[in-house]
Amino acid sequence: MNGAMPTTIIVAGLALAGYALLMTALNHRMNVPLLAAVGVLEILLLVEVGLVVAKLADGGRPGSTGTLIGYLIATPLVPLVAVFWGLMERTRWGPAVIAVAGVVAAVLMLRLHQIWPAIHV
Amino acid sequence: MSEPMTTPEPTASQPESTRTGPGRLLVAVYGLFALSASARAGVQIATKFQHAPVAYVLSAFAGVVYILATVTLTVGSRTARRIALISCSIELVGVLAVGTWSTADPASFPDATVWSGYGSGYGFVPLVLPVFGLLWLRYWSKRTRSQRPAEAASDGASNRAAADVVAAHDTGNGGSSSQNLRGNNVLRGNSGCSQHGFLPCWTLLPRKRRSPGSRRQQW
Repeated sequence: MNGAMPTTIIVAGLALAGYALLMTALNHRMNVPLLAAVGVLEILLLVEVGLVVAKLADGGRPGSTGTLIGYLIATPLVPLVAVFWGLMERTRWGPAVIAVAGVVAAVLMLRLHQIWPAIHV
Repeated sequence: MSEPMTTPEPTASQPESTRTGPGRLLVAVYGLFALSASARAGVQIATKFQHAPVAYVLSAFAGVVYILATVTLTVGSRTARRIALISCSIELVGVLAVGTWSTADPASFPDATVWSGYGSGYGFVPLVLPVFGLLWLRYWSKRTRSQRPAEAASDGASNRAAADVVAAHDTGNGGSSSQNLRGNNVLRGNSGCSQHGFLPCWTLLPRKRRSPGSRRQQW
């Protein structure tokens, strides 16, 4: 992988997904600890986006800038939309939505660094 | 792992609509694919359409079908469920057909679509998703067939409530016979369509098409 930040996010995303899936399996609803975990992931994603934007501002350009910018916009929205959608659910399926968001965050990090392999953040 | 805030849910509770319960997860994943497939297709068609026109058009088509399924599963009325059934079926056929096509003739696909290799580029989720969508719709179809009054109360679609009133006036006997007839029409999925032809069952308001049917039944 491409530096500490994306690795951290992938681990955090998958850990969040595991925790959320466990909650689904144990028939728990959305709760404050899960929201806090999503908050941590969101902060990590925002830091990553900030680092990539700084690289772009420095004059670095990936092969497809448009796609990269699309990813930079979509990535921080994923946990927010998942929390919004998951909080509307009062059953075990709320945490299941958060699990999807965790996996998606990890996949987005992989894809982001495929789009621009030379980021090194 | 201590979780003082959580309270176990009663397991007997039933989801209120197609977007709650397991549907919450289903709509989330459908929304994800609606966004990713259509955004990807949009970028590809805008920037390098000539590179792999077949693949990009198929991606765009897949995106449209995913959007349709997301919206209809979110709405969850009977008409929406019928469109969702069509969308999920198209998806399943699409992922199987394109998966086979891309395996048999890779030259047609210089660039991948969502459905290439049976969705292998997306963890085979495109292959699994329509199956769960169809199972979910089947659950709803069965449930509404067995629990007509409960579903009428919980569905909450306003045109449906209004239509029930109209039907009750039409029949003049409390609407119970028309209720049964309508239930049969709607809840067998596509069988209701075959009576009126394919298009009217989802382009027109379903109630207007069916009220002559209920009169026929009565006379």
